[in-house]
Amino acid sequence: MTHTTVDSPRVAAPRRIGARSDGMRRPRPQIGRHALLLVLALFTLFPVLLVISTTLKTPEDVRVNPFGFFSTFSLQNIVDAWTVGRFSDYLWNSILLTVPSTLFVVLFSTMAGYTFARLPFRGRTILFYIVVLGLLVPFFTYMIPLYFQLRSMGLLDTLLGAVLLLTSGGLSFGTFFMRAFFSDLPVELEQAARVDGASELQIFLRVMMPLARSGMGALAVFTFLGNWNNFLIPLLYLPGGDFRPLTSGLYMFTGGRSLDIGPLAAGTLITILPVIVLFIVLQRQVTQGFLAGAVKG
Amino acid sequence: MTTAALPTAAAATPSPGRRGRGSLNPSPPVTRRAQTRLGVLLVAPVMILTVVFFVFPLANALYYSVVDFDGIDPNPAFVGLANFQEMFLDPEVWHALGNNLIWIVIGTAAPLVIGLLVSVLLWTTRSGSAGYRVVFFLPYVLPGVAIGIVWGWIYDPVSGWLNQALTAVGLGALTRGWLGDPDLALFAVLATAIWAATGFVIVILLSALRNVDVELVDAAKIDGANPAQRLWYVILPQIMPVFLMVLTLTLVGGFSVFDIIFIMTGGGPANATDTIGTYAYSQAFEVSRIGYGTTLALLITVLSVPVAVFLNRLQRRLSIDGTGA
Repeated sequence: MTHTTVDSPRVAAPRRIGARSDGMRRPRPQIGRHALLLVLALFTLFPVLLVISTTLKTPEDVRVNPFGFFSTFSLQNIVDAWTVGRFSDYLWNSILLTVPSTLFVVLFSTMAGYTFARLPFRGRTILFYIVVLGLLVPFFTYMIPLYFQLRSMGLLDTLLGAVLLLTSGGLSFGTFFMRAFFSDLPVELEQAARVDGASELQIFLRVMMPLARSGMGALAVFTFLGNWNNFLIPLLYLPGGDFRPLTSGLYMFTGGRSLDIGPLAAGTLITILPVIVLFIVLQRQVTQGFLAGAVKG
Repeated sequence: MTTAALPTAAAATPSPGRRGRGSLNPSPPVTRRAQTRLGVLLVAPVMILTVVFFVFPLANALYYSVVDFDGIDPNPAFVGLANFQEMFLDPEVWHALGNNLIWIVIGTAAPLVIGLLVSVLLWTTRSGSAGYRVVFFLPYVLPGVAIGIVWGWIYDPVSGWLNQALTAVGLGALTRGWLGDPDLALFAVLATAIWAATGFVIVILLSALRNVDVELVDAAKIDGANPAQRLWYVILPQIMPVFLMVLTLTLVGGFSVFDIIFIMTGGGPANATDTIGTYAYSQAFEVSRIGYGTTLALLITVLSVPVAVFLNRLQRRLSIDGTGA
C-alpha cells in the first residue's frame, strides 16, 4: 500500500497552494496553520485525555474534584473496575463475541463477494440486491421483531445468538466490499488457471483468495472495530448479563452507581484502549480500508 | 460500468478500469455449470444468515405494524392501518421527526463544512499531516458508549469541564446544565456527534484531495481567484463524487441516529431529545407497544432509503463523468 508520505510530494512541491508565487516565502502562515491544527488536535484528543487523567487519580481526588486533571497518581480505579466492576469478565466476553464474528464475516463475505464478482448464474443479481439492502435499512427498523424471533429460536441470551447476529450484521458491507475487491482483479489470471486445468474451486482457493489477502485484512480490521464497539446487539439480545461485553457493561455501570466516576473512567479506558492500540498500529489499513470500501462500488 | 462484451477483446486491452464482473460470458457450458455450482455453494452462508436475521425480521416488522402486539400474546389482534393512523396524529412523532430533521441538517452540514476546511488546511500544510490524520480519525473508531459517557462528564452541570472552563474565563453566566435543559440538550448531544463524525470526513476528503489537479488551482490563482473561490470553483468540483459519498453516509446516519442520544439523554429531558429511533425504542421496550414502536421504526426506512438511493445515483453519475474517484 501507499505510504503516508504520498501526501508530501504535492505538499512539498513549490507549486503548493498557499505558497507565495512571488518567491517571498514567509514562514508565518505555516506556523499559524500548525497552531490551528494543534488546537484542533487537542480538542479532538481532549476527551481521551480526560479519561486517562481521571483513571489515574486517587479515588479521594476523584471525589473532591471529579473532572479536573489529575494531581495524584493511583492505579486503584483500574483495580476496582477490573475486580468489583467486573470489567475483566466484560473484556473476556468482548473477545468471545468479537473474534468469532469477525472471522465468520471475513470468510463468508469473501466467499459471497467472489461469487457476486466472478461466478455468474441466474438470480445472482437479485440475491446481491437482497444482501445490499442490509446497508440501507437501519438496524432499529427490525431490531424489535428480531428480539422476539431470537426468543422463539432459543437464541436469546446465548453467545451463539449474539455471534450470529454480529456476523450477519457485517455481511452486507463485507460482501459489498469484497465484491468490489474481486472485481478489480484481472480476468487473465483466472483464464490462465483454467487453461492449466484448475477447477473453479481451485481458482478461488489457490489463485484469487491469496490475491485478496489485503482486502480481507482490511475487512477484518474494521469488522473487528465495529463488532467490538457494537452497543445495541449485546444490550438487547444478551439481557441476562452472563455474556455482557465491554460496551453494554460500561453502559450498565453508568446506571448503577453514577457517582463512581473513578472506576467508570477506568472501565472506559479498558473499553477504548484495545481499540486505540489496534487503530494506532493499523491506522493505515483502517483508513485505506474505509476509503476503498466507501469509494468503490 | 464498462461492458466488455467479448473476453478476447477484454484480454486485448489491458485498461486499468476494466471490471472482470460478467465479462466472462460467454463461457463454455461446462465452465458455466461448474461456476454455478461453486457460486451457489459459496454464497449459501451469507444468504442463509441474511434471510434468517435480516429479511425475516424485516418482514416481521411489516407484520407487527398492522397488529396490536404487546410482546406476550402469541395471536395479536389485526388492527389494519391503525398504527399508521396513530403515527400521523401523534404530536410526539412530529416533534421527534423535527429533531431528526435538525439532526440531519446540522449533523451533516457541520462535519462536512468543518471537514472540508480542515482537510484543505491539512492538504496545504507542509508537514505533519500524517500525525494529524491519525488524531482526527481516532474518534471515529471509539465506541459510542465511551464517547457519550465522557461528553456527559464534560457537560456535567456542577463540576463538568465545560462549566468550569466557562467560569474560569469569566463567562460564568453561560454555565448551565447542558443535557438537562430541554432547549439545549439536543444541540449539546449534536455537538458531541459532530465531534465524533468530523474526523472521518477529514480523512476521506484528504484522500480525495490527492487527486486534485494542482495546475488548475494555480491557474485560478494567477487569474486572481481568492482562496474561497479556488475552493468553491476549482477544488470542490474535482472532489465532488467523494464529497457526495460522504454526504450520503452522514445523511443516512442522521436519519437513523440512535446510539449517542440513547446513551447521553435517553430521549430526555421530557422527550426534548427524542428522535424517531429513541421514541420507537421507548414505545416498544418501555411501554410494550411493540406494534406501534415497529411502525415508527419503519417510517425511518421509508424516508431514508429513497434519499440514499438518489444520492448514490448522483454520486455514480459524477464518478463516471468526472474524476473516476
